Amino acid sequence: MQAPAKLTWLWFAIAGVVMIAVPQIISSSFAIDIFIRILLFSFIGVAWNLMGGYAKQLSLGHAAYFGLGAYTSTIMQVNYGISPWIGMIAGGVVAMLASLPIGWLCFRLRGPYFTIATIATAQVLMLIFLKFRDFAWGAEGTTIPNLGSAPLMMQFETKASYYYVVLGLLVVGLWITHLIEKSWMGYYLVAIGEDEDAAEAIGVNAPKIKRDIYLISSFLTALAGTFYTQYIYFIDPATAFSFSVSIEAALVSIVGGIGTLWGPVIGTVLLETTSALLQSWLGSSVGGIQLTVYSLILMAVILWRPTGLIGVATEAYQRYVRRKPAQA
Amino acid sequence: MLETLVQAVINGLLIGGIYALVSIGVTLIFGVVKIVNFAQGEFVMIGMYISFFLATQFGVDPLVSLVVSMPVLFIAGVLIQHFLIRRVLGPNDMPQIFLTFALSLLLLNLSLMFFTANYRTVHTSYSDEALHLGGLYIPVAKLIAFAVAMALSGLLWVFLHTTDLGKAMRAASQNRDVAMLMGINPNRVFAVAFGAALALAGAAGSLLMPFYSAYPFVGQVFVLMAFVAVVLGTLGNVIGALIASLMMGVAESLGIQFVGADSGLIVVFAMLLLTLAFKPSGLGARRGR
Repeated sequence: MQAPAKLTWLWFAIAGVVMIAVPQIISSSFAIDIFIRILLFSFIGVAWNLMGGYAKQLSLGHAAYFGLGAYTSTIMQVNYGISPWIGMIAGGVVAMLASLPIGWLCFRLRGPYFTIATIATAQVLMLIFLKFRDFAWGAEGTTIPNLGSAPLMMQFETKASYYYVVLGLLVVGLWITHLIEKSWMGYYLVAIGEDEDAAEAIGVNAPKIKRDIYLISSFLTALAGTFYTQYIYFIDPATAFSFSVSIEAALVSIVGGIGTLWGPVIGTVLLETTSALLQSWLGSSVGGIQLTVYSLILMAVILWRPTGLIGVATEAYQRYVRRKPAQA
Repeated sequence: MLETLVQAVINGLLIGGIYALVSIGVTLIFGVVKIVNFAQGEFVMIGMYISFFLATQFGVDPLVSLVVSMPVLFIAGVLIQHFLIRRVLGPNDMPQIFLTFALSLLLLNLSLMFFTANYRTVHTSYSDEALHLGGLYIPVAKLIAFAVAMALSGLLWVFLHTTDLGKAMRAASQNRDVAMLMGINPNRVFAVAFGAALALAGAAGSLLMPFYSAYPFVGQVFVLMAFVAVVLGTLGNVIGALIASLMMGVAESLGIQFVGADSGLIVVFAMLLLTLAFKPSGLGARRGR
């Protein structure tokens, strides 16, 4: 199954060159915007997948960390003039700190009730930021002062620069996933995902592993929050803690292939492309069409291919390999 | 002060009756089929739209349209169980959670496409009527809704405890494997449980219509309440869900009265998080399972 190492590196090199060349070749800002969305949601999906995919802790509350990341960097920038590059890391740390009590509560439950509890925590944070006007502008939110070209403040003149930032985030996310996948932690996570009681019986410290992966997952999700706010120059509780962020994080991973390195990326490419096509055909006038299509895709994947698109591709590849005459 | 307090408790109990119909459905499905139906709120929404269209097109009173919404949703429940849920029953959580979640998203967004996000109301002759007891004020529409909700909950209880099918459902909820060994057909029991749960959600929708607006997101309010009530009342326990729902209604109403009009949701979440922190197995838990 495993391709020879040299070939893998060749593919990586080609993919790398293509990804770096994209914004140079494509000039339409609409198209670049779609690419940025794909990279961003791939990254959020990768962050979700670490916990939701490998350890099967199916959170629908990752908007909590997306929002905390967004608010931390924005508050630091708007109120104290601190660069969002620093704010981004600070946001990640805040998200990690928040994941400790949230995890302490939610990990008491398993299965669907864990999922419900995570939804509730993201909603509680949204309500808190709606209520407290003194430190976070309440329901109106705020716009981020536009400084023109200020790379040190994470503000760029061209969309291409944003593209490279989020591409970098995705590469980091995939690299971390790869490292974890190959480590003991990765095996522990999969064991917990398969059967938590059995994993504990053979000596996996499940509470500790779940807490650790939640820390990593929430840190990465928060980075996406900061980036998104810098990209759209606006923040309010409804967008920062939006339930649709939580949904999409889970959906892209499940559709692409839950618990696989490339699953979230493949899932995002499919969902975001579909969404972009729908928008160009129907315009944004028909409310609900995007999520209607998403939910149909999700149902189809769950009913027919629970392993996701990656699973479909792997099966096809195996069939192809088997059909080839055996070589000595 | 005392009067305000009593009034808030009454308001809470009345709406709590509706929450109970939704929670009992959630807990019934969880008990028997062992899945959480994330789409339960959307069936309340569908019940509301059925009543709304019957009222505006044919002038049917929402309370009368109960005899349409309940059977329609019962059949919908049987079909959903048979064609969708049955295929994902197994030890794996992921397909179950995300199938019903996808169903919820689908129904919500379909109704957004077809009915738009507008608020729809039905005005009945008793929508503005109220009983006055001393200084207390009891809206007739809510009182009827509460009474019918309690009657339906009672009927379900009688069904579960006196009929063979009901006993089979309780047996399946206590121990599915042993129940199957005793000759209980799980598919039939699951289908009836799912159908009954959806019929209750449909009833909740119809009962709400005289005093509540229908809109695509309306189910989310109720399903959230139901999830909390179901945890609070111990998963799979019908009486527990009923009592917890009434408590949730009262807690929400007290929150609105004494903390602020927009504090209802905060109270709900606070109760959920407190339950999780201190009594994750629910108030009525006997032995850990």
